[in-house]
Amino acid sequence: MVAIDPTEHEISELGPEVNGIDDAAELREMLSLEASGEDRAPVKTLIESRIETLEAGGEDDPESVDLTELTIADIANMVRDIDDGDLLRDILEREREGKERKGAISQIESRIESVEGSDDDGTELEYEPPEKKYPDLDHPTADKQYVEGVSGESYRDMWVYCETQQGRLIDVSKEMLGRARELMDAYNADNAVADDTASYGGDEGGNTEEVVAVLIGDDVAGLAEEAIAYGADRVVYHDDDRLARFRHKPYTELFCHMCRDWSQEWRDYHEPRYNIFPATNNGRDLSALVQGELDSGLASDCSDLYIGAAMISNPAKTGKPGDSVEFERVLHMPRPDFSGFEYSTILCIDKPFRDFHPQGASVIPGTFEVPEPGDREGEVVEHDIDLPEDWFQVEVVDHDQLEDGVDLTGHEVVVAMGRGIDRVDPTEGIELGLELTDQFEDAGFGLSRGVITASYEFGSHVEGYITEERQIGESGQVVEPDLYIAAGISGAVQHKVGMDESDTIVAINTDPEADIRGFSDYFIEGDLFEVLPRFIEALEEGTFERAIAEVSSD
Amino acid sequence: MTEYEHYEAVVVGAGPGGAAAAAALAKQGIETLVLERGADAGAKNVSGGLIYAEEWAPYTIDDLFPGFREAAAERPVEEYYIHNIAGENVKTFDLDRIHHRGTEWCDAVLRRRMDSWLAERVHEMTRETGGGLLTDVRVNGLLREGGTIVGVTCDELDPIEADVVIAADGVNSELARDAGLMDWDDPDDWFQGVKAVVDMEPEVIDERFDVRPETGSAHLFSGDLFDGVRGGGFLYTNEDSLSIGTVFHLDSLADERAEPHELLDSLLTHPLLDQWLQGEYEEREYAAKLVPDSKRVAHPSPHRGRLLLVGDAAGQMQAQGPIIKGMNHAVTAGGLAAEAVAEAQTRGNVRAAGALYEQKLEDEGVMKRLRPRRYRATRFVSESRPVNRLGRTLVNSRLGAAGLKLFDGLLERSFNSPFVLGMIPDTKMTYVTIPERVGEVLGDPVDGESRVEPPELDDRIGDLTYDVDDPHIEVLDDSFEASGTAVTACPVSAEGFGGGCYREETVQTNGEAERKVSLDTQPCVECGTCAVVADTHWEHPSGGKGVQFEQG
Repeated sequence: MVAIDPTEHEISELGPEVNGIDDAAELREMLSLEASGEDRAPVKTLIESRIETLEAGGEDDPESVDLTELTIADIANMVRDIDDGDLLRDILEREREGKERKGAISQIESRIESVEGSDDDGTELEYEPPEKKYPDLDHPTADKQYVEGVSGESYRDMWVYCETQQGRLIDVSKEMLGRARELMDAYNADNAVADDTASYGGDEGGNTEEVVAVLIGDDVAGLAEEAIAYGADRVVYHDDDRLARFRHKPYTELFCHMCRDWSQEWRDYHEPRYNIFPATNNGRDLSALVQGELDSGLASDCSDLYIGAAMISNPAKTGKPGDSVEFERVLHMPRPDFSGFEYSTILCIDKPFRDFHPQGASVIPGTFEVPEPGDREGEVVEHDIDLPEDWFQVEVVDHDQLEDGVDLTGHEVVVAMGRGIDRVDPTEGIELGLELTDQFEDAGFGLSRGVITASYEFGSHVEGYITEERQIGESGQVVEPDLYIAAGISGAVQHKVGMDESDTIVAINTDPEADIRGFSDYFIEGDLFEVLPRFIEALEEGTFERAIAEVSSD
Repeated sequence: MTEYEHYEAVVVGAGPGGAAAAAALAKQGIETLVLERGADAGAKNVSGGLIYAEEWAPYTIDDLFPGFREAAAERPVEEYYIHNIAGENVKTFDLDRIHHRGTEWCDAVLRRRMDSWLAERVHEMTRETGGGLLTDVRVNGLLREGGTIVGVTCDELDPIEADVVIAADGVNSELARDAGLMDWDDPDDWFQGVKAVVDMEPEVIDERFDVRPETGSAHLFSGDLFDGVRGGGFLYTNEDSLSIGTVFHLDSLADERAEPHELLDSLLTHPLLDQWLQGEYEEREYAAKLVPDSKRVAHPSPHRGRLLLVGDAAGQMQAQGPIIKGMNHAVTAGGLAAEAVAEAQTRGNVRAAGALYEQKLEDEGVMKRLRPRRYRATRFVSESRPVNRLGRTLVNSRLGAAGLKLFDGLLERSFNSPFVLGMIPDTKMTYVTIPERVGEVLGDPVDGESRVEPPELDDRIGDLTYDVDDPHIEVLDDSFEASGTAVTACPVSAEGFGGGCYREETVQTNGEAERKVSLDTQPCVECGTCAVVADTHWEHPSGGKGVQFEQG
């Protein structure tokens, strides 16, 4: 049995799924499902290449493999993935005792050199400011104190910007807090506690690091406890009535002040180690501005986060051409490219004489689960500074709250009206439908597309109901209530796809040949202007089932 | 100065005309960008289904695209008949001579398969020149600078500048209308075709049509099976399907308030077709399109400034009695337009391309086929009312019947004469009266009984694939007087049918009942009928949106 039937998915969804499967047999089964189903060439290639990857790798354990059975090229491929110098030396020894091939030995030696650094390490890199190195270029950041020369500073903690709307934490804020909690718990542990995140036993000095939640707004102090419940060790908040709405300048200045300039006993470091933002409209704006101001980078719209080591050979980062250097405590920030066909993992790594901290990411809402709130303890710190007037030069003069729209899903009953309402008078038809809807405790009122696009002139008291957001069907909403009452709807396939999963469908139509009869549980041949009043009457007496039974022709 | 992207040539539309133009341009090394609004080339394109390669033509589709017939076409047509129908009586003429006259070959095609195959080649060829083919892009108008056409504007992309714009954007060409070269004013100028593609196994086709594998036949139908609406029907054999359709004069369709899908059904259910369908009917796709009547609207000077029109966009569709040729003319015109562009470029004056193109259409014999002089000379007499009445009386008289009998062989010959066909007047007499009388007097009753049940219109719509976007057509005057004809003439609307595009509604305003029409563009097949018969603002949907034909 396969977990994923490829024929039920778009190719863009399948990429990450397939690459997460490690069982070749399962993949083969998926391949045959695809071949006998949709038979899409790119999907088959995807699955085949995953099978190939699985079967090519894995079988040779470098610690025990018989080197005499491998070609030089095999050995070269194998050692390329090994970062452990001791293991490499062991392989080198085994090769010398075995076939003693020159090519193989030089491959292994060069890998050892690249992992451990060359021996002739006599020349120290010397810092030369870019203004001096390239005197002909403009250097707009020359006077920015944080751009250069911050090497050797201290960085700690994972800061999480918690966005609020309508005085509440939005879900993605909780999701980020939950993930930050997992990451920092693993980080602070002595031994591995999670598969995907390394353990360091705290910072370089062995002290635990925190999850710091940031709340900015008007009257957000009350949310601090909730942020702690979802995973924060500490909450820094700033309340000001001018901050009720998101505004770029003050929000950016505040965040940067809190995490870089604000001298506090608990915040005795230069900048955070990690900054996490939501990839919402406001979060995207804020993340770019803050990370720019802090002179670091940003991986936007990430779909995962984990912490671990990374072997880096880029001389711009290592300062030692030809050598690989292992960087620890690196935040790995995978993000989808090309609409999810590819994934890139972004790393934000220091280079000689120049730090790139905080390592920053914005996270796509829904990436992580909303955690269960826990019974946790934490510190709440008010950030209380005077905000300069010139942060508020941009004034919000007006704002509008978009309506949620009409959600017809999730009701027990949906009453839907079709073009049959013009048999007598469209306005009266709508009135009847609304009246019937009111008879149920939990009912929604829907329309067929034919009513919405018609030229009927409705009375002003029902006109407000004739909107596209009440449309049921292919280009509208899909509902599956316990009871669906379709009055004067013929049941074209475009309508059918929006409602035929309903438990019980009752259709009223003057035309006994109407398509809807074919997928209704009860079909009532009749004019809705006669049938609906009887329904309403019956419901008032509480005998709907009997009323249907009486008038039903099926 | 604007800083728009610039190409030497932009071709709008990847049908046969656009593909031919782009291929010929690419062969000349001219940097060519092709813009196609369908999600895939062919997704928006419908035709009856025969493409010809004519001996006289300077460009044919297989010249420009070697391997076309094997890879992109259905069966070659080797037999060609017309059936004159009067009730159950049918007289069949063999049109072999007119069909093969001057024709190198003729193949049935389905446009989705054909056009998407062409588009792949076009993309490869144009990419070599620094251009390429983009789908999902709707060109919505001409880019002008100081009143001069300098490129195109699109829904999806920034405006694009070009030395020349070749508009091969089909019968409802928005560019031709933007340039003022074509209009949608007169129903007399158009035919409307509807078609069903019907499933049939290849071996079954071989047997029932008595053709060898890999060959096929074509049948035309005329007479009284269309309630007096001027037009006819056709049936072509594809590899594993049939294309069965009807084509009517739009003015006649509108005046008679006929329902196109019902006329198609009356052909499908005629007992004559039972020999082929034998009670089995599985419809793959229902489609429709407008067809320009080249005799009236083939533009004698299809260019303006840097804009050149090709194919249906220029009205280049020849329909004279049983001769129905469009795609071959579009291919030829596309090749000639490209030639004109290359020559003009060599002369250092691309603005001359339009005039050169016009000259070539004339010199190479395209225009004389599209607008025969004989038709222009005779139509004032033959289309006049008294002459027709006289003719009808005569044909219907006993004397006429005797004449028909006497001239049986001659009649068949005259159907096979391009000279006579070029004169054929567009009146009921030619389409209905004569064939009906031929069938009545000369025909034998068909034995056979129709046992097929074509799908209802709502199921036909339901089976089509749509990517519904905001409405692309706006009814400017929703009174029944102005736009009511669309309720019947639109191939996806019908009287008393609430699931179509156009619906008649009675609205109470201040106590007065008023007849109105409302429009829902969801089921629209983008044929353009309502642009002619109703008062609308008509545009195509944006790139990739709207209906997507799988067969075409």
